[in-house]
This record gives sequence, structure tokens and C-alpha cells, in this order.
Amino acid sequence: MGDNWSFVLAAYGLAVVVVLGYWRMLVRREKDLDQ
Amino acid sequence: MVRVLGAVTVVALAAGLVAGLGLAPREATQGNVQRIMYLHVPSVWVAYLAFAVVFVASIAYLAKRAEAADQLAHASAEVGVLFTGLTIATGSIWGKPTWGTWWTWDARLTSVSILFVMYLGYLLLRGMIEDRERGARYAAVLGIVAAFNIPLVHFSVTWWRTLHQPPSLMKPGPGTMPPVIVATLLVNFVAFSLLYAYFVAKRVRLLRREAEATS
Repeated sequence: MGDNWSFVLAAYGLAVVVVLGYWRMLVRREKDLDQ
Repeated sequence: MVRVLGAVTVVALAAGLVAGLGLAPREATQGNVQRIMYLHVPSVWVAYLAFAVVFVASIAYLAKRAEAADQLAHASAEVGVLFTGLTIATGSIWGKPTWGTWWTWDARLTSVSILFVMYLGYLLLRGMIEDRERGARYAAVLGIVAAFNIPLVHFSVTWWRTLHQPPSLMKPGPGTMPPVIVATLLVNFVAFSLLYAYFVAKRVRLLRREAEATS
């Protein structure tokens, strides 16, 4: 079987986007409460 | 305290990434695509953990009506849905090169999808009911009922014939994986568990502040 690095990068890239996206949402909502 | 937890989590995630993409060996049968496992399996572990916390916190809320228990259940369910979604998406990406399909309605994939929809419903239910106490009560009942799907998801691969492989790690008896793969998985288990704790701590703090602002 081929290495399929593109699938590996897609999975890790998606995980980074999801985790950072959720973290940013939490930080933004906290900042909104501060104001 | 939450900030320290966040810093430790970043270090642990970096270690997990280095171990998963670099230190762990190329798997003999699947090749490098097997590295998705270091993301996929810890994600489902966090989902199980999150929904188990929802279960316990929901019982605690119904028993004592403590707002802190309800906030913990709410935060944990949200993080659990996030990681269940990630589990499904990474599994689908892994499935295409190994099974030849992005999706199949086998017992594991179907049961985990039902789990995802149930807790998505849990979050929607909370958002739909304006009376906070009533919403918390209904959500607690759903949080207890939905948890019974967790063993169904986990054992679906042994109870039914599935395309999904049976558990390699979270099963009784001696393990069959090489120690270096187990060690890499464990690093990622720790990193994802810390990420779960960090997200839940941050979300609970936010829920507490939102409750204070509206009361």
C-alpha cells in the first residue's frame, strides 16, 4: 500500500483547524464578556 | 491555573505530534497512513471520557441541583461533540485509502454517528429551553440516557461483523501492538486528555461568567 501522506496531512490539518477554531471561539466569547 | 494547564497541554500536544509523525515507525501493512491512528484513537477516548463525565455530572445535578454540576455536564458535552466529530472525520479520511471508501454503514460507524447526533441533540435541547432550571433538568435526563450508547459504540466491533477493526488497545488480554506504537499512543492519550481538561475548564469558567452576567 502507498504511503498516502496527503491523507495523513489532511487528518492532522483538520484536527489543528478544529482545535484552534474551538479555542479561538472560547477566547473571543471571554473577551466579549470582559467588555 | 487554566493558563498553566494550557501551556502544559501545548507541550504535550507538540510531543504527541512529534511522536506520531516522526518517532513512531512506518507501519508495515498500511504504511504511513496508519499515523492517523495517533489522532483518531485519542479523539474517541476523549469523547468517551467527556460523555462519561456528562453522565456523572448529570446524576449529580439531579441529586443535588448544583449549578456547578450542570455547567460541568454542559461543557463536557460540548467538548465531547467536538471530539466525536473529529473522530468521525479522521476515521473517514483514514478509511478511504485503507478500505477504499469514505463511509460505510457498519455497526461502529453507525453507532458512533448516533452518539454524535444524540449529544448534538443534547446541546440543541439546552439552547432551545429558555428556563435555565428546566433546561438543565431535561438535559441531565438526556445526558444519562445517551451515555448508554457508549458501551454500544465500543463493543459494536465485537458484537457485530464490521469493516472497522476490533479494538487493539482498550481490550482485555495481552496487547498485540509493538511497544513503540503503544508508547506513541499513550503520549497522545495524555495530550488529548489534557486538552479535554483545558477546554472543559475554560468552557465552565465561561458558562459561570455568562450565568453571573444574566442573573
